[in-house]
Amino acid sequence: MRLGVDEVGVTELMGVTEHARAMATAAAGLLLDAPDTGRPLIAPLDASAPAPEARAILDEITAWSREALGSSEPPLLWRILAHNPHYLEATWHKETAVMAAGALDVHDKRRVALGVAMAVRGRYMIEYSAAILRRAGDDDRDLLEVLGVVDHYTTLNTLSEGLQIDSDIKPAT
Amino acid sequence: MTTIRLVDAAAVTGKTKEIFDAVLLRERRVFGAESVSNIWRCMGHAPALLEANWNRSRALMQRGRFSPLQRELIATAVSVANACTY
Repeated sequence: MRLGVDEVGVTELMGVTEHARAMATAAAGLLLDAPDTGRPLIAPLDASAPAPEARAILDEITAWSREALGSSEPPLLWRILAHNPHYLEATWHKETAVMAAGALDVHDKRRVALGVAMAVRGRYMIEYSAAILRRAGDDDRDLLEVLGVVDHYTTLNTLSEGLQIDSDIKPAT
Repeated sequence: MTTIRLVDAAAVTGKTKEIFDAVLLRERRVFGAESVSNIWRCMGHAPALLEANWNRSRALMQRGRFSPLQRELIATAVSVANACTY
């Protein structure tokens, strides 16, 4: 808070955090984290021939994917969710709302999402966020800087939880 | 409740005092701390660990391309993802 982020910014940050964690869980649940071992749990839909209810959202994701990832095919995760158009629509709308510019900017939010994916060891979402960041200009050193913060805070979190250290840091008022 | 006694920051000497002074200087600047925070005081029991983690804190949280805010955003999100209440 002392760095200039107000309640709106903090709430946005928590939105990105929980969304990134949930997406990593979804990807792991679909076995997307282990691409070497075989197929995902559910086969993706062919993005060129989706169910009519999923078409508009998949078209939107395809347009985003061209811009953000340089790929004309939506990421696998979205093509799998397309089996359930309601799930796809609600999740995509949340993604666009949570990751849009607000009190925090888009690039910072994506770096946060990468950090969360690293913290929960979500391989698919690490690759997903890293690809978006690289396309937006981040290089190896930037990605390593995200990892450095994740690494160091995992150290501090482990110590403080392991020793049940009482917090003595009060929020600024 | 903390499971070990926290080192008394006023009673340390040598390298530990040097690091505690540096920690307090930084924490005062970052969040207005008036005393060394408990997470660093606990490490005072193991000076080699304290020094190693302080050196990593300086390398990873105080140097690089990102702004302090950008690093703190990631740090906070990671702490939540790791279910850390501290």
